[in-house]
Amino acid sequence: MDITTIFHNLGELLRYEANSPMIFSSGLFWLLFVIFLPIYALLRNRMWQMIIFVSAFSLYFYYKSSGIFFLLLTGTSILDWTLSKLLVKQKQKWRRKLCVAVSVLASLGILAYFKYANFFLWNWNAMVEGNFQPLDIILPVGISFYTFQSISYIVDVYKGRLAPTATWLEYLFFLSFFPALVAGPIVRADYFIPQIRQCRHATISETYLGLWLIIIGVVKKAIIADYISQYNDLIFLSPTGYSGFESLMGLLGYVMQIYCDFSGYSDMAIGIAMIMGFKLMKNFDFPYKSKNLSEFWRRWHISLSTWLRDYVYIPLGGNRKGTLRTYINNFLTMLVGGLWHGAAWKFVFWGAMHGVGLAVHKACKPWLDRLPDTWLVRAVSWSVTMVYVSLLFVFFRAESWEDSLLILNNIFTNFSFDYALPFLKVRYVWVIMMVIIIGSHSLPSRWYDAAQRWFIRSNWMVKLALFLVVVQLVIEFMSENVAPFIYFQF
Amino acid sequence: MKRKPKNIAGVWSLLAVALAIVTLLSLCDELNLPGGLTLKTSGIAERLTREPELPPEEAATLSPDSLIEKMNPDTVAVAKPDTTSHNILIFGDSMLEGLTRRLAAYADENGHTLNSVIWYSSSTKVWAEGDTLRKFIKKYHPSYIFISLGGNELFIRDIAQSREKYVRKILKEIGDIPYIWIGPPNWKKDTGINDLIASCTAPGCFFLSNGMHFDRQKDGAHPTYESAALWVDSIARWMPLHAAHPIKMKKPTKATGRAASQVMLTPPK
Repeated sequence: MDITTIFHNLGELLRYEANSPMIFSSGLFWLLFVIFLPIYALLRNRMWQMIIFVSAFSLYFYYKSSGIFFLLLTGTSILDWTLSKLLVKQKQKWRRKLCVAVSVLASLGILAYFKYANFFLWNWNAMVEGNFQPLDIILPVGISFYTFQSISYIVDVYKGRLAPTATWLEYLFFLSFFPALVAGPIVRADYFIPQIRQCRHATISETYLGLWLIIIGVVKKAIIADYISQYNDLIFLSPTGYSGFESLMGLLGYVMQIYCDFSGYSDMAIGIAMIMGFKLMKNFDFPYKSKNLSEFWRRWHISLSTWLRDYVYIPLGGNRKGTLRTYINNFLTMLVGGLWHGAAWKFVFWGAMHGVGLAVHKACKPWLDRLPDTWLVRAVSWSVTMVYVSLLFVFFRAESWEDSLLILNNIFTNFSFDYALPFLKVRYVWVIMMVIIIGSHSLPSRWYDAAQRWFIRSNWMVKLALFLVVVQLVIEFMSENVAPFIYFQF
Repeated sequence: MKRKPKNIAGVWSLLAVALAIVTLLSLCDELNLPGGLTLKTSGIAERLTREPELPPEEAATLSPDSLIEKMNPDTVAVAKPDTTSHNILIFGDSMLEGLTRRLAAYADENGHTLNSVIWYSSSTKVWAEGDTLRKFIKKYHPSYIFISLGGNELFIRDIAQSREKYVRKILKEIGDIPYIWIGPPNWKKDTGINDLIASCTAPGCFFLSNGMHFDRQKDGAHPTYESAALWVDSIARWMPLHAAHPIKMKKPTKATGRAASQVMLTPPK
């Protein structure tokens, strides 16, 4: 074993590699976190040293995911912080507004360039039959998340809800905080910044609760979501290649995959932050238990939906300007939410349809509230909500509008239960995974609380054994590939 | 609440011990447990001790441009046409359904013998792990081989890491027999199977099908028989100019033919 080869390979691993962001469930992050943690603990009481250390680690984390764009993040933080300091010194309202406008426009401008420029060009070409070539733009990882954080900061300072941070370093710490940097939860300045100066150590219980969340997150993201996604991808990549039954399974699989993937990553982020002594807001609260669309958005990607409520819906007038305006504001907010997810009309449509659904629910609410709270009513409400949410996910996931329609058409016109048994025989691992995740999602939340408490109180060796079992499962399933076209018989 | 850095000692030591265990275990390829159970290991040790990869100039062969370059007559020495009759074996996945029909017509026209082995839903992994290929090579004694694999691996994660050994194993099994690996007819962007095959095969032995237009069957993936025939015609036109071992591939007068023998294997479990 040549030590220079090991150092060379380690150096290669630590370098930026396009399309290979460092994720929390990777071995490299695990190694870096083991090195990071004791240094962090020693520096936790020395605020400035801790801020510099964590910010440097966060910027490295971002460099590993997005290369040179860590400078963009740094630049954004300098601009935001400078403008926030300038803002509080201004007496005249228009000057204060100008500071906010410059900051927000700069943040949105950067986001618009990197995320939406080619979408705009594509639409412009379609409208004028032009011949613009798409720009060769690389989208910096997590830009949508930190842009919203940056906007919330400057708006909160303007509204007087928050004083600007005393130093730029504190603001950089907030904007680049690595647990939430690339996939949220979207951290709100007024909630997070005060925690920096508290220099608070996590209690022993909190550190193990953080570890518990990491374990749960790894199970959801790296075992379940990553495995079931393989079959789901096949369905969405070959919309006409499968029967209606298989397509429906692919859709149900995607519904669970997106939840496990996103909420799993959020769990890991919250857990890592908790071990460090920071609290991030809950991002998912059993969304598929929702019995109406409004409830769904209170449980799904909570940090985004509350951000949209506070910085889009309420500034548009919220529900203060009459019923019609409330519906319109709701609709517009969901359009923004849809577009935030991606630069394509399918995301706009997805957002718009959620806006329509919310408006319909609001309109029907007086009537719905009069219905008796029976088992049947709850079951019907849940079913209608889940069918609506699931069908809209087709548009969210499919490669194109045409593919979405092909999949839906396949489900509704080519469906037969004859495929169920062969499917169960061939895709039994996928089915088991789905049963586990659907079953566990349906459990009462107090069961989770009990499991958490058991884990926190359990012996260290039990915790280690559980952690190793989860890691082994990740290794086992990492190399398990799902074969496409099992049923092809010419 | 302050001055309690020891609070994280438990979590830190757990993470560190677990990492050490997983790293140590990765020194073995896999762990055999009592009862016939086998546990996979993480690959950390392999990743850290792996010999440095290709130098930059060779690594550049993985780029799309160099893929095309690889098929370019300026970069591949044009071999002298081989006018002898060959005993051809074509093996691979369900894409062979279309390919074999037309290739058989070429075989009839040019005096070759064609044997075809279709393994539905198969992949490089399946062909490399068993001894099926060895058996068929032993059975048919081919003097020329066509491979059509990769269609079931267009969307595999970490393709280079997970499949390179299988591609190399198949090529090793083929040994010195001249061959053409027909790349999969992508219906969506792949995760790197074409790059992987191109990087493992010898110059002039890989036909890149990605980027060609295909009319597809109802499944949206397999070319129609007519389109598969045009696919074979493209390969036949490409061979005298770019293949490392071109053989007689005069365009046949009849549209399809029958292979001397055709074996169909059911999907792997």
